[in-house]
Amino acid sequence: MRLRTILPAVLAVLTLAGITACGDVGQPVDLARVNEAQRPLPQNAGEPEPVDDEPAPDCGDPTASLRPNSDISAGSTMAKIRERGYLIAGIDQNTYLFGFRNPNTGQMEGFDIDVTRAIANALLGDPNKVQFRALTSAQRVPALQDGDVDIVARTMTMTCGRWQDINFSSEYYTAGQRLLVNANSRAESLEDLRGRNVCSAKGSTSIDRIAEAGGKPLQVDNWSDCLVVLQQGQVAGVTTDDSILAGMAAQDPNTKIVGPRFSTEPYGIGIPKENEDMVRYVNSVLDDFRGGEWARSYGRWLSELGAPPRPPAPKYQD
Amino acid sequence: MGQPQQDPLRGDQAAAGPEGPGDGASASGVAWLLALPKAIARRLRDSAATSPGRLTMIGVGLVVLAMIAGIVGTIVAQDKRDVVTNLTDYREPLSSAAQQIYGSLSEADASAATAFLNGGIEPDSLRSSYELNIARAGAALSKATSDQGATSEADLMVKTLATQLPVYTGLVETARTYNRQGFPAGAAYLREASALMSEEILPAARKLYQIDSAELSEQQDEANAFPWVMAIFGIGLLVALIATQRYLTRRTNRVINKGLLVATIAVGIAVLWGTGAMLTQAILVNDGREHGSNQADVLSRARIAALEGRANETMTLVSRGEGDAFQKNFDAARKRLVGADGNGGLLAEARGLAEGAEHADDVRAATENAKLWLQRHQQMRKLDQEGDYEQAQQLAVGAEEQSVATAFRKLDESLQRGISAGRQEFRAGTVYGGRALLLLAPGMTLLALVAAGGVAVGIQERLREYR
Repeated sequence: MRLRTILPAVLAVLTLAGITACGDVGQPVDLARVNEAQRPLPQNAGEPEPVDDEPAPDCGDPTASLRPNSDISAGSTMAKIRERGYLIAGIDQNTYLFGFRNPNTGQMEGFDIDVTRAIANALLGDPNKVQFRALTSAQRVPALQDGDVDIVARTMTMTCGRWQDINFSSEYYTAGQRLLVNANSRAESLEDLRGRNVCSAKGSTSIDRIAEAGGKPLQVDNWSDCLVVLQQGQVAGVTTDDSILAGMAAQDPNTKIVGPRFSTEPYGIGIPKENEDMVRYVNSVLDDFRGGEWARSYGRWLSELGAPPRPPAPKYQD
Repeated sequence: MGQPQQDPLRGDQAAAGPEGPGDGASASGVAWLLALPKAIARRLRDSAATSPGRLTMIGVGLVVLAMIAGIVGTIVAQDKRDVVTNLTDYREPLSSAAQQIYGSLSEADASAATAFLNGGIEPDSLRSSYELNIARAGAALSKATSDQGATSEADLMVKTLATQLPVYTGLVETARTYNRQGFPAGAAYLREASALMSEEILPAARKLYQIDSAELSEQQDEANAFPWVMAIFGIGLLVALIATQRYLTRRTNRVINKGLLVATIAVGIAVLWGTGAMLTQAILVNDGREHGSNQADVLSRARIAALEGRANETMTLVSRGEGDAFQKNFDAARKRLVGADGNGGLLAEARGLAEGAEHADDVRAATENAKLWLQRHQQMRKLDQEGDYEQAQQLAVGAEEQSVATAFRKLDESLQRGISAGRQEFRAGTVYGGRALLLLAPGMTLLALVAAGGVAVGIQERLREYR
């Protein structure tokens, strides 16, 4: 009798004790928790490594080159290129308007490419006898030093530092550094982007000025990678030569170039240090190029930058 | 709490029978419980002193042992069969799915890059190939996600794949849109997509494959392990039965006890059947491993190396020599595939494994096709280095019979045939191995019951003689 009455009571007590014993029921179980999505970055993008800033020795006027000479003597660099049958040119295949691969045709096009083809035409009688080697900004000087390329025509600023390692032709285009931002940005200058990420290419003259203005530089291999990180929202602006920025603005109407030019960037064609004959030869080609082709090429690619200015006058060291 | 419970306990004890130990009757229930083992031991000692008592004890002991051996045998046999079935139905498909993820993604990436190289409007075949491979990768990924027993590392790899794949496809579509507009930003997006693929997605897929194939190997070890516990119980029971029979023979001068004889025969059958079936199973599963899954593994790794080489070969052209990282990656992949001298590497390993097997032809074809591909790769590089980019590009991606693309397709097809053949061999060995265990589990139960019954009947018979 007692057993029958007590047992259910005991069981009820035990059950209740079980329910209440642990108190806290814990959190619902989340099988997959992701708190932040990782945005993709272009290959090799990152913060620049600090470089020891050795001030370049003063070389006088960096735009002064060697006097032109169109003679091709036996054994000269030009004769060797003729023997080979084609010119090897270091170019950019990613910078719209200056040097890029037209995805619709697969052909290389742009202002720098026109200059390159003019040199090939003069030397070999055919503007198509060029082997294009795509280079990143940082690869330009090493490629010339190693003799991998005959010339580099790739938005290359003539500086005293670079004159140490390579030769330059006479100036064929004058650019200036400016800033590209999203169309809705209120920034007017690099200083307005203090503390924010700004993109520039590795090994370019532009990247040093970002940190000088208080911005955080993000360096990439190619200029078009800068447009990618701007579109992906990883930088607030891109700073480099207005000629390159114009190509980005042309590809994305939601961007704009702001502020005045805050530097002058004379473009020259890079040539290996030892090939002075080639420098003189290229300068003679450029003299012809400035005649009429320069304006035609400018009109074809750079008309968005305004009416064609006069081509920069060549300067020589002597 | 203590007081009310004492009464029912005492009531139970009273109901349990009058045999309760005398000294416990007046004490509390707890004291009785504590005294129980001692009391039992004493009673057992008392019984063992008499012949019928001892006989009863031996009988009970044997029946209990037979039941335990039966349970152990049944569980081990069932477990073994589960492990073997698991190999074909779950573990191997998972490792194959991981290999498919890598293959499909790598092919999708190569298709996207090739479409870019072609210029203009992308050929429909390349677009279809891209879409198909992304769909295949997604389907294989959903299978990999279902791996319940996944290690946390495998889990992390699957998570990387699942979260980055949509990002990758997004970048490819952006690249496509810009390409159609004629802007070089498309190439930039494509490079970014390719970097994401080769730096994050493919390494995760490769790691997942490694984890899954190691897991498969481990499970094969488990399937082939000798069932020691089962053997010890079976043989122990057999020895006990024979000893009992000898004891009885000495005691009663009767040579044969039918019940015990039946029990001995049943246990003998169980031991022979169990060992025989499991040895057969181990041999067959091992055969499926050596000629099947090992082969598929080596060929899968060879395919991964080949696809990696192909992707880098294409990117070398897309990048037009921008950094020689792609060429270096190509050389590394080539070395993995055919070794430094062109006659080693994974393909040589596969040839060694395939000797005398049915799929030896596929492996030989793969070797030949790899040679052809690498030869044409050299031609293509030579053209590019001599400045004939257009020709090099045509040779690399064209659909002509003599193109690099065609040679690579042939290589990939022969590798895939070899992988399928290896998987088939694996399946045959493992399924036959599983069949060797057919009915073993219920058989063990049945034989244990027969043995227990035989012991009970046999001992009962002898006990009757004492009455």
